[in-house]
Amino acid sequence: MKDDSNSQGKILYSWDGDGIKDELRFKKTTQLNKEPYDIIIIGAGVVGCALAFKLSLYKLRILLVDKNYDVGEGTSKGSSAIIHTGFDAPVGTLESQLVTKASKLWPQLAKNLKIPFEECGAVLVAIDDEQYNQLDKIHQKSLDNGISDVNILSSEQVKELVPDVNPDVRGGMFIPRESIIDPFSISIAFSEVALTNGVDILLGSEIVDVENPDGEIKNLITAKGQKLATKMIVNVAGLGTSKITEKYDGEFFDINPRRGQFIIFDKISRNAVKRILLPIPTAQTKGVLVIPTIFGNILAGPTAEDFPLDDQTATDTTIDGLQAMIQGASRLYPPLKDLPRIGTYAGIRCACKQGTYQIRYNDGSKNILTVSGIRSTGVTSSPALAEYLIDGLAKNCGLKLTKNPNTVDSRPESSFPSWWKRPFHINNLIKKRPDYGRIICNCEDVSQGEIVDAINSPLRPFTLDAIKRRTMARTGRCQGFDCTIKITELISEYHNIPINKITKNGPGSEILNG
Amino acid sequence: MAYQQNVNVAIIGAGPAGIGVALGLAKQGVKSILLIERQEKIGGIPSLYKKKDSSIRTFLNLCRGRILFGEEYVNRLNKKLIKSEVEILLESKVLDISPKKNKLSLVNPDKGKFTIEANGIVLACGARENTLMELGWIKGSRPGNIFFSKSLLELLDQHAILPLRKPVIIGSDLNAFAAAAKLKRSSASNANIIENKRTSKTSFPKRFYFNLFNSKPNFHGNIESVKIVGKHSASAVELSNGKILDCDGIVLCGDLIPNSELALENNLKVEVPSRKPVIGSDYQLSEPGWFVAGNMLGDGFNGAEWCYYNGLRVAKKVVHYLNSGK
Repeated sequence: MKDDSNSQGKILYSWDGDGIKDELRFKKTTQLNKEPYDIIIIGAGVVGCALAFKLSLYKLRILLVDKNYDVGEGTSKGSSAIIHTGFDAPVGTLESQLVTKASKLWPQLAKNLKIPFEECGAVLVAIDDEQYNQLDKIHQKSLDNGISDVNILSSEQVKELVPDVNPDVRGGMFIPRESIIDPFSISIAFSEVALTNGVDILLGSEIVDVENPDGEIKNLITAKGQKLATKMIVNVAGLGTSKITEKYDGEFFDINPRRGQFIIFDKISRNAVKRILLPIPTAQTKGVLVIPTIFGNILAGPTAEDFPLDDQTATDTTIDGLQAMIQGASRLYPPLKDLPRIGTYAGIRCACKQGTYQIRYNDGSKNILTVSGIRSTGVTSSPALAEYLIDGLAKNCGLKLTKNPNTVDSRPESSFPSWWKRPFHINNLIKKRPDYGRIICNCEDVSQGEIVDAINSPLRPFTLDAIKRRTMARTGRCQGFDCTIKITELISEYHNIPINKITKNGPGSEILNG
Repeated sequence: MAYQQNVNVAIIGAGPAGIGVALGLAKQGVKSILLIERQEKIGGIPSLYKKKDSSIRTFLNLCRGRILFGEEYVNRLNKKLIKSEVEILLESKVLDISPKKNKLSLVNPDKGKFTIEANGIVLACGARENTLMELGWIKGSRPGNIFFSKSLLELLDQHAILPLRKPVIIGSDLNAFAAAAKLKRSSASNANIIENKRTSKTSFPKRFYFNLFNSKPNFHGNIESVKIVGKHSASAVELSNGKILDCDGIVLCGDLIPNSELALENNLKVEVPSRKPVIGSDYQLSEPGWFVAGNMLGDGFNGAEWCYYNGLRVAKKVVHYLNSGK
């Protein structure tokens, strides 16, 4: 058991080749905790990170492990960036309860964790009679879910809230607490606080086997054959969950990636859409959302296309899919079809045939928890889900919970001058740190100082994508035309790694094949 | 109170066009000229073409009919600048402009955030290559080893790193053939050049010049779409005609798009989606006192010398405007 002192956890990367600082390299298990861990969490997506954060407030030895080379790099990174109220969730389900609860936690949590967050509100837009006739039903569902601060809108009221909306609009509903968030910062913030509170984090390590699952001390086996000893296992590996379940005889379930393609519109259109525009699902189509992002862009999406597990093309984007997005989005908001687009991405949700929010304590073996089917609502529900799981672990697996007074529940303001706005907006900061005045990413106005801060941030990231998610550099309209090589140089210089070893997202994605 | 500077003419962008404007103004006796550059040195794209044995001279850097390394061309311009009274502000990013107030808001490491007011302002912000999205005919995965031709220059000429040995080049303008030749010179294999138009955008004599460097790219025209294959690293492209080309990296040399966002975001008229600034016959933008020069005009791809001379022409129009007492 961890003592009361607040010692920072270790961050280690399992990494082949020269592209890493030696102090961050995971070579042997003695670099980690000498005793078995109390809990190992498999999967550093938004749910795994939230769980690590909430558990880190107790006196427990915890390891968070993931096969990717940054936290939140699987399904969590490609979301719609919305914090839902849960107004349209299936009534009475666990999903609905957790989403509703979490949506009330988020405003304060985002402040504590320095995650950009804005309560922009959403407008449900009914374009035709079929949609209009569903409004009352949706309104009732919202009330049944306990979301009572919603209003039915006349077509005039919709037009007032959303200028330039499709002129055929018949009416709508306003959901004031639907919010937008920086989706990348969520996993990062959770895991950084967890690390500060003493959680160890091991990235780049895929778990391929579980030894002695029935025993008091279980061993997780990594792809490189290293043994990680623990008393309890939480399997929240997203699309990787079912493969690990097999190793400890957990109950069978069927998961597969469901692709959602999105289009990102240029910031030039930042003032065009200020609220989330939601379509009303019809017999023909689920519809396309139009979402303002916290960064000032607009998103349109997603599609819903099912793929088999392990299909390497699941995150490809297609020309057809994108055209469908533009068509669907401009049905809600016609000006979108002429706005400049800067990029596309394809996110995947974890679709589970056995239903959403599958939570199984002592799954197959004692003290093993499997969590799966956390579909697109995971970003929203994560803080409430983590608390729910901790309660469940205490009840079902006898997890002993003693609060550790030497822990924190927030990220320091000082290390994130730009968590909400760019540092050059802050008076006199550039006098102290001239590198905040040296702009590297000219589309998003990201300074060298912010990139250096990201490189020095607690998880010590050193892939281009990890730096991108912490600074937004390279996400703008030129998609890295101007700054990719400069950022590569900065990572190379600060980590003292040869420039041709820098990767996009881990070994095998070296940007330079030279 | 933040630092503020008043000048007669401010020029945004110290590539060949911006330098042309500055020198043109100085030659005509204009005082108080400020040349603003966001990079740490002047010269724009040509300055990335280093003079060295392993490199080649390209048409992008013509100088009165002679072909120079970009660096040499910029050095010539720099010598003229040093002799002039043009003030140069480096590492200074223009964040915002106020067309009605003739004001610029900037940031740099030395002054922090500050403003500049000028009687005349010239935007010479250049152009960039279209992204995969903007090209619109590229699909598939989005791996790390996709390069813009600018990144390629930075790697080959500044870092002496050859980032790809089996190049696929998307687009067929002069840049594409120059990139193919530079790669070949650095011991990569002949490039596959892919174009969605039927024929190459570069004329035969210019293509032939690159044959002198033993660069014989394979041209694939009339390609409706390209699919990139390889999750973490591009390993091949599938063309819409069924051909599969192995590669270890992709270079985008697509059509250029003017860097006209400052204008667009601040209500100076810009055509969408081409992003071409709307100009009168005198290179004037939609507000009096605001001008545009060089590749930012959006007339397709033009080399360093063309931009420089265009800058000189724009300078004349600026002088005329300043003298007309408006």
